[in-house]
Amino acid sequence: MTTLSVPSARKRRRLQRRGLLPLLLGPSVLLIALFVIAPAVYSLYLGFTNTQLTGFAARDPKFVGIDNYTYLLSSPDFLGSLGRTGVFVLFSAIIGQTVLGMLAALLLSRKWMRGKGLFGAAVLLPMVVPEVVASLAWASVLSPRADGTLNRLIDLLGAQPVAWLQAAPMVCIIVVNVWRGIAFAMIMFQAALEDVPEELIEASRIDGASARQVFTNVTLPLIRGPVFLYLLLTTITTVGVFGLVYFLTQGGPGSSTQLVSIYIFEHAFEYSQIGLGSAASVVLLVVLLVLGLTYVRLAKVEV
Amino acid sequence: MSTTIAFESREETERTQGSRSPGPHRGLAPFVVVQRTLQYILIVLLALFCLIPFAWLVLSAVDAHAGPTVQMPTLSLDNFVRFFTSADTPRLLVNSLIISVGATALNLALGMIGAYALSRFRFRGRTTFMFAILLVRVIPPPATIVALYLMLVQMHLDDSYLGLILVEAAASLPVTLWLLKGTVDAVPQDVEEAAWMDGCSRLGGMRRVIFPLMGPGLGAAAMLTFMSVWGDFLTPLVLLQSPDLYPLSIGLFRAFSAFNQVDWGVLAASAVIYMVPPAVLYMVLRKYLLKSSLGGALKG
Repeated sequence: MTTLSVPSARKRRRLQRRGLLPLLLGPSVLLIALFVIAPAVYSLYLGFTNTQLTGFAARDPKFVGIDNYTYLLSSPDFLGSLGRTGVFVLFSAIIGQTVLGMLAALLLSRKWMRGKGLFGAAVLLPMVVPEVVASLAWASVLSPRADGTLNRLIDLLGAQPVAWLQAAPMVCIIVVNVWRGIAFAMIMFQAALEDVPEELIEASRIDGASARQVFTNVTLPLIRGPVFLYLLLTTITTVGVFGLVYFLTQGGPGSSTQLVSIYIFEHAFEYSQIGLGSAASVVLLVVLLVLGLTYVRLAKVEV
Repeated sequence: MSTTIAFESREETERTQGSRSPGPHRGLAPFVVVQRTLQYILIVLLALFCLIPFAWLVLSAVDAHAGPTVQMPTLSLDNFVRFFTSADTPRLLVNSLIISVGATALNLALGMIGAYALSRFRFRGRTTFMFAILLVRVIPPPATIVALYLMLVQMHLDDSYLGLILVEAAASLPVTLWLLKGTVDAVPQDVEEAAWMDGCSRLGGMRRVIFPLMGPGLGAAAMLTFMSVWGDFLTPLVLLQSPDLYPLSIGLFRAFSAFNQVDWGVLAASAVIYMVPPAVLYMVLRKYLLKSSLGGALKG
């Protein structure tokens, strides 16, 4: 009975197969196409129009060619925001997070160290909380009042209270972003360090290399691939940082912390210039693409 | 994800090694003691840098007279009571839960069947599709939010739970598909074929054999999706206009921006309530993440 039914069941399955694939994968493809890929393509198109949210052009958007792009690339406002995004990525992601993340990874890889779980959890916490909570926490640290956390700390050193978000807004948002990103760097580097053979390090120590020499000449070259992968990932995420900065400064004071992400948001939703905002998005993507290709070239990774 | 996993397993092995090795300072050269002390100081400073910003949140949440800065709290749970009894704050929590649970459920449901198809069927464009959805994630969210908003307005899905849930579920779907495809790959074909022999249909085999064996992978995918939806700020900020629909992220932002009448105690309490689910979820699911690194329970 069973032996007879098996071939027929198999045939039925083969027939089902053709109909089953679209049934199983179709919904995912549809959702991704509609809400992930279509917006990307649509913003390419919008960048060539003068689409507005409100007003005359809202009813009748026109194709304006590369007008938005020529405007953006000659606008000090936009170029300024592009530069600020560059500074933000360079100092918070490429320097700050990488150095402190590597430090945390190296320290927590020490066999003799106690309390690794606790230290690890402390470093992880800034990454695990939502970005709004992170910003709110820092608002109290950077508070201009004399009893703000940071002002109290510098008071111990005898300094006068400072309105941090007014006096050094870029430095503030860079520090906040470093704080939030140490954990990700640490996790990436811990995984990479694990793959470095211990004998290699011991051998070079026996040959008389100092700890620093071992790190720069043995460890670092061996984890080059993962480090560049990390740099690529952190650059991508840092360029997309919006809430963390918008919550604290809303791009101000003036436009001193107006990153490209905030420029896009403001122009599209506050000045209702959808076309211009979309063109700015495309410029951002092109910059990101160039950066990404540079990393890949530097890392000599086969893609 | 694999990186997180490697990190976890490393910690495990070293904890066991650490318990066997002698204490840190016993019988060491003075030079080594100084070096180790310096390294302890460094890691303590780093931990303090990471923890100090949370001081205000934690202290003010239990302070009946909380202000915008750190002060000694007059211990009380009044802020939490007020959060749950106020007219509009519980609504924020409910909205956050509706959006996050809805998006995670949809994401996992589609991800499970989609990942099964990607793992078990060979068809043209499969690899292209896998890499395409990964590449699309390179685009920063602020770059597509404008077009996304216009599209949702045209579909009449803006300012609604449904629109936001669909967008959030889609945004995390590439990662879920990749993660769960790996999980299905780890289930041997033989097990599934045995189920077919016993009279299961393909769908029945999926439901009875594959899905029960996906536990750790599902846990990881659920955690990642839930955390990204729960913490998202930009998408609800743009897509939602009615205060009735605001999740906690937007509610906190609005409350904080209303400079004149900020109730700092309730604000801190809401922030603590807001940060607890992702933190707890992370701690609980760490175990599952560890398991999923072992490539499914069946290999052993």
